[in-house]
Amino acid sequence: MASEFILEVKNLKKYFQAGQPGWFSKGAKLVHAVDEIDLQLKHGEVIALVGESGCGKSTLALTLMGLEEATAGQILFDGQDITHLAEKEKKALRRKIQMVFQDPYESLNPTQTIQEIVMEPLVVHGIGANDEARKKQVKKALEDSGLKPAETYLTRFPHQLSGGQRQRVVIASALALEPQLLIADEPVSMLDVSIRAEIINLLAELQKTRNISVIFITHDLGTVGFFADRVAVMYLGRIVEIGSMQAVLKDTKHPYSQALLSVIPVPNPRLRKKRIILQGETPNPVNLPSGCRFHPRCPIAEEKCKQLDPHLFNLSAAHQAACLLLENYQ
Amino acid sequence: MNIQFAEASSAAPAKRVNYWKIITRNRVALTGVLMIAVALIVALFAPLIARYDPKSSEGVSSSDVYNPPSAKHWLGTDDVGKDIFSNFVYGTRVSLLVGFFASFISIVIGGVIGLVAGYYGGRVENFLMRFTDIMLVVPDLPLIVVIVALTKASLMNIIFVIGIFGWTTTARIVRSQTLAVKSRKFVLRAKAIGAGNWHIVLHHILPLVLPIMIVNAILVVSAAILSESTLAFIGLSDPTAISWGQMLNFAFSRGAMSVGAWWALVSPGFGIVWIVLALTLLGNGLEQVLNPRLESHHLMPSRPSFQSEAEAAPVKTGATTAPVLLDVQNLSVNYVNDGNVAQAVRNVSFQLHEGELIGLVGESGCGKTTLMMALTRLLPAAGEISNGHVFFHGKDLAALTEEELSELRWSGISVVFQGAMNALNPVRTVGDQIKEAIIKHIPNFPPKALDTRVEELLELVGISPEHKNHFPHQYSGGMRQRAIIAMALSCNPQVVIADEPTTALDVMIQAQILELLDELRKKLGLAILFVTHDLGIVAEMCDSVLVMYGGVTAEYADVDTIYNAPRHPYTQELLKAFPDLSKPERKLTSIPGSPPKLDALPPGCRFAPRCPVAFERCAKEAPALHQLGENHIVSCHLVEA
Repeated sequence: MASEFILEVKNLKKYFQAGQPGWFSKGAKLVHAVDEIDLQLKHGEVIALVGESGCGKSTLALTLMGLEEATAGQILFDGQDITHLAEKEKKALRRKIQMVFQDPYESLNPTQTIQEIVMEPLVVHGIGANDEARKKQVKKALEDSGLKPAETYLTRFPHQLSGGQRQRVVIASALALEPQLLIADEPVSMLDVSIRAEIINLLAELQKTRNISVIFITHDLGTVGFFADRVAVMYLGRIVEIGSMQAVLKDTKHPYSQALLSVIPVPNPRLRKKRIILQGETPNPVNLPSGCRFHPRCPIAEEKCKQLDPHLFNLSAAHQAACLLLENYQ
Repeated sequence: MNIQFAEASSAAPAKRVNYWKIITRNRVALTGVLMIAVALIVALFAPLIARYDPKSSEGVSSSDVYNPPSAKHWLGTDDVGKDIFSNFVYGTRVSLLVGFFASFISIVIGGVIGLVAGYYGGRVENFLMRFTDIMLVVPDLPLIVVIVALTKASLMNIIFVIGIFGWTTTARIVRSQTLAVKSRKFVLRAKAIGAGNWHIVLHHILPLVLPIMIVNAILVVSAAILSESTLAFIGLSDPTAISWGQMLNFAFSRGAMSVGAWWALVSPGFGIVWIVLALTLLGNGLEQVLNPRLESHHLMPSRPSFQSEAEAAPVKTGATTAPVLLDVQNLSVNYVNDGNVAQAVRNVSFQLHEGELIGLVGESGCGKTTLMMALTRLLPAAGEISNGHVFFHGKDLAALTEEELSELRWSGISVVFQGAMNALNPVRTVGDQIKEAIIKHIPNFPPKALDTRVEELLELVGISPEHKNHFPHQYSGGMRQRAIIAMALSCNPQVVIADEPTTALDVMIQAQILELLDELRKKLGLAILFVTHDLGIVAEMCDSVLVMYGGVTAEYADVDTIYNAPRHPYTQELLKAFPDLSKPERKLTSIPGSPPKLDALPPGCRFAPRCPVAFERCAKEAPALHQLGENHIVSCHLVEA
C-alpha cells in the first residue's frame, strides 16, 4: 500500500456558475456546492456522509468520481493525485472507484438485459478473454450480490425485477470491476423499508469480505448506524461535524447535527422526544451567509457567529466540530 | 396506480418487447400496415399483376387514346393509348422507391445531426441547430425544383435531392429526445463505469431514441412520396420511370380534362392518397403505442359499487371516545381486467374519530393506496368497490351517485395526493390555484371574499400571504407541500387523507410538515388518515395504526401496542426492518420476498409464504380478524389459542 489512506481530500472546492453567463452579466455568480472539504479515508473504512439536499454531498461524490471537475484543492487516491486526470487515466481509475446510485429505477437502461448491464463494465475495460469468460464473471457478480441462481436473471430486463433486485444488479455491475473504493449515493432511499435492510446488509457483507472502503451518502443515519465507522455531517458545502459513529451519535456537538438527529423519527412512541425543528430551508449556496454559514437558522447563535467563520475544532482524536460556541474553541 | 403488485421474484421467461403484438392490437396501426403491405405486394410483383408492359407500344393503335375502363383495360387508357392499370402498377414501384430511399437519407442525416447536437451540447449543438433552423425556413420545394431542373432529372438525383431536404424535423425530434435520455441516471452510471462517448451514444442513447425515429421515418416517407409526385406533376421526373405524379402530369397537360377522361386522373390520385393515408395511419398508430400519454387518463370516474358479498360483522376500532367521523365497514375492492378479478382490498374495517390520526402502513403493493382511493371513490377505471360501506355523517360514500359524492369531496373529505406538490400548474400563481380549488367546490363563494380566504389559508399553513402571487417555481419543495395542504383545507373538510405527504422531502422539511399537520389537527379538530411506509413517522405522530398486508388488515391497534406488543408476525418483522437511531448498533433484518401479486394470491393467509412462524394451517386457511382487547385486531391463526 502506497499510503495509509485510500482517499485523501485536501481543501476541495467545487463551484458552479449560477445560470448561463450572459453577454451582459460578466461577473457570473457562483454556487459554492463543495467548499473547503478535508477528508481522510483509511483502507477498508466506511464513512457516512449526512446532510439535507443542497448540502453538497452528491456533488462531493461526483467530484471524487471525476464526473465533475474540481475547482480547487486536491484528491489523492492511495497517495496518487487524481484531481485532474486525462480521459485515459480517468478510465483506468474507474476500475478502482465505483459508484452505486440512488434510484435503481432510473440508473438501469430499460432496453438492456441484466447480462448486458453487468457485462458492460467488463466490455468497456476489456476484461476477460472472451464472452464466455465474461459471462462467468457476470454470473459470479450476480450471485455475490444475492441474485441466485444467476441464470434466471441473465435474460431479464430491469422492469421485470423488483426495486431491491434492481439495486442488487447495480451493485453487481459496480463490483464486477473489483473496485477498492465504493461510493454509495443514497442507495436505499428509494426502496421499501422492508428491503432496505437487505441491501445495507449486502453492502456490509461485501465490504467486509473484499475489504472495500465505502463512502455512504445518506440522510438517514439510522440505516447505517451499525455499518459505518465514522460519520461526517455536511451543511452548505462544508463538513460541520465529523467523528466516529459512537462519538457523533452519543455526544453530538454541533447545533446543526443536533437538530438533524433530533428530527429523524424513532420508531418507538414511548420515546417521542423534543424535536429541534429548524425553520426555513437550507439557504441558497449562491449568497452565503456571513460568518458561520449556519447562524441564520441556528437556535443558539450569538453575535460573533455573524462575523466569524468557524473551522473544524478537535474535540478529541476521533471527533471534530465547527462551532464557535464549543467549549475551549480556539 | 398500478394494478399489479410489486413483481415477485419468480423466474418468468424474459422477452424483448413484442412490437408485432403491439401493432396488431392497435387497429389504426394495423390498418396502415395492411395498406402498406398491399402497396408493397403490388410494387414487388408488378410484372405479374400488370397486363401490359408500359414501356412497349406493341398493339397500341390510335383508336386506343383515352378509352374508358373496359374489360380489356380495367382503368381505361391514357393519352398515347396505353393501359392505365399497368402504368399505375409500375408507378407504385417508383413512388415507393423514392419514398423509402429518400427518407432513409433524411433519417440518417437528421439522426446523426440530432444525436450529435443533443449529446455534445454547447457550441456543436448551437451550430448544428442554427443550421437546422436555417434549413427549416428555406422553402424547400422551390429549391428542390430549381436543383432538379438544373441537374438531370434522373431517379437517383430526385431521391438525393428530396432526401437532403427532408431531414430537419427528424434532427429536431432526435435532438430533443437525446437531451431527455442524456439526463437520465443510467447514462451517468455508464460514465461512472468508464464508458466512452461513442459507447454511450450507441448503447444507451440510440436504443431509446430509435422508437421515435421510426415513427418519424414513417411520416418522412409519406412526405417524400408527396414531394416526388409534386415534382413529377410539374414535369420534373425521370422520363424513363413512370410514376403516379408523372401520370397526373401527362393526363393534365395532354387534354384528359377536356375529353372527360377522369379515369386518367383518378387512378394515380388514388394511389397517392392510399399510400400517404397508410403511412399516416401507421405513424399515428405507432405514436399512440409508444407515447402512453396520448392514452386516456387512468383516473376516470369510478363505477358505482354493488353489494353482492356476504357481510361479516363490522369491527369496532378506535382509541378515543370522540365521535366517529368516517366509519369504514368491510370494504373490499376488486380490480377487473380482461374478465380476471383480482382482490386488491378485502374486508377492511376501521373507524376514524374526530381529531384522530390513523397511520395506514405496509410495504408498497399492500393495498394502501387502493384503500385510500376507494374511500373517496377515485379508483382507476378497472377498480370497483365490490362490498362494504364507507359511512360519513350517515351517508354511505360507496353507494352515493357521482354528483352527490363530488359535493362531499373536498368539503367533507379531502385528499393530499402523493407527489401533488410537483403537479402544481407552473404558469399560474399559487394563489390563483387555491382560488380555483375553492370555486370548483363552492361555486357560489362570494368573489370578493376569495382573496382574504386565500390569504387566510396560506397563513394557516405557515406561508406569508404575500407569496400568493408567486409561481410554484418560486416556492421551495416544503412550501409547495404547504400550499397543497392549504388547497386541501380550502373547503373546511373534517377528514384529510394524506398519501405519503413527506416522502420526497428532506428530514428537516418533513419534520416541519408533520408539525404543521399536527397543529392543524389540534386547531381545526381534523381527523387525518396518514398513508405512509415510514414507521418512524407513525410512531411520532399517530394515535392508532392500521397495518395492511396483501390487501387485508394484518393488525390494528393503538400506536403503543403496535410498537411494544405487536402480535402479527408481519408487524413484528416490519419493525425489525426499520432502523432505530436510538439503537444504532442493532443489525437490521429484512423480510425476504415481496408482497403477493394480485393475480397470484396465496390460498390461505396472504403473509404465509414470507412468514417466519407459519405452520400448516396458514397455507390452507385464511385467518379471521380476531379481536384482542378493545382496540386490538389481529388476523393471524397464532393468536387464537
